[in-house]
Amino acid sequence: MDANSIIASLSDKFPDEIYDTDIESNIRIVAKVKPENVVDVCRYLKDELSFGHLCCEFAADYPDRNGIEVIYVIGSYDHPVILTMKALLPRDKPEIESVVPVYWNANWYERETYDLFGVKYLNHPNLKPFIIPAEMIGEWPLRKDYKGFPNRTANNLV
Amino acid sequence: MDEVEQMDVEQTEVQNVGYDDVPGTILTDTNAISEFLKKTKVQDVLNWGRKNSLWFTVNAMGCCGVELLATGMAHYDTDRFGIIPRNSPRHADVLIISGYVTKKYLPALKRVWDQMPSPKWCICFGDCAISGGPFYESYSTHQNIDDIFPIDVFVPGCPPRCEALIQAFVELQKKIEEKKDKGTEY
Repeated sequence: MDANSIIASLSDKFPDEIYDTDIESNIRIVAKVKPENVVDVCRYLKDELSFGHLCCEFAADYPDRNGIEVIYVIGSYDHPVILTMKALLPRDKPEIESVVPVYWNANWYERETYDLFGVKYLNHPNLKPFIIPAEMIGEWPLRKDYKGFPNRTANNLV
Repeated sequence: MDEVEQMDVEQTEVQNVGYDDVPGTILTDTNAISEFLKKTKVQDVLNWGRKNSLWFTVNAMGCCGVELLATGMAHYDTDRFGIIPRNSPRHADVLIISGYVTKKYLPALKRVWDQMPSPKWCICFGDCAISGGPFYESYSTHQNIDDIFPIDVFVPGCPPRCEALIQAFVELQKKIEEKKDKGTEY
């Protein structure tokens, strides 16, 4: 399958859930999905379109759009196309369904995103602090408005 | 219950013997002997022995840890200075902070430091450990690590060479010989 046929298949299957698509090149495509349909789209991608490899999952903070965008990069072992799937969450209550039932390796990605951005993954099997100490939960250090950087300079910095 | 009562009885008996009455006798459950020896020439001999057997923990924390490991290999032959890498902190005398100290790693590093038997010394190895380096003012790292550990030698560099670490050990040996190290209170 090439990029055009994948986009056509996705748009036919989910005409309402996917509200924007883009073909950047022959190997990179983008699909913007409504947050509540992410798991359905992922299951369709894995079962029907042979997107078997979740390369990474992360988030980006956009204060001007008042949203946190959760981004899934999904690759395949059968065709050279890599899909970037984006879902925009409201910034005051970022909640999205976990994709661990589809891609099991999303477990640690989602825990890390929860630590750093505060995106709460519903029905995640083990959503607890992963890479930051437990007392830092709630600060969300990678958000743009994070104020917790140490302003005390190093004593021995010349 | 009987054992506890017996132990209590034995302890009171020992305490009631009254070693304090015998002149020139020092109880061994205090630091009195080592405090006394620090004022004599014996401490010079002890320091000579200590400075020639500086065993360090293999505690590779960042990319400087690769240099730390390479220093312990056969090419640099640190055994000629009495410097030997030890895998357990319970065998070691020197802790080398060889990288950034994140907030999550600091409790583990403190535990490694507490496991080391005294006298013990600490070397700050690399820019990250000294001032934060590229992780300066990061949300997840500790600045001013010298407030937490008594550091004798700072080794700047990103990363420092293995020869620099050997030089740091030589400087530490000089400090111990002159009784200016922070590992012992003179």
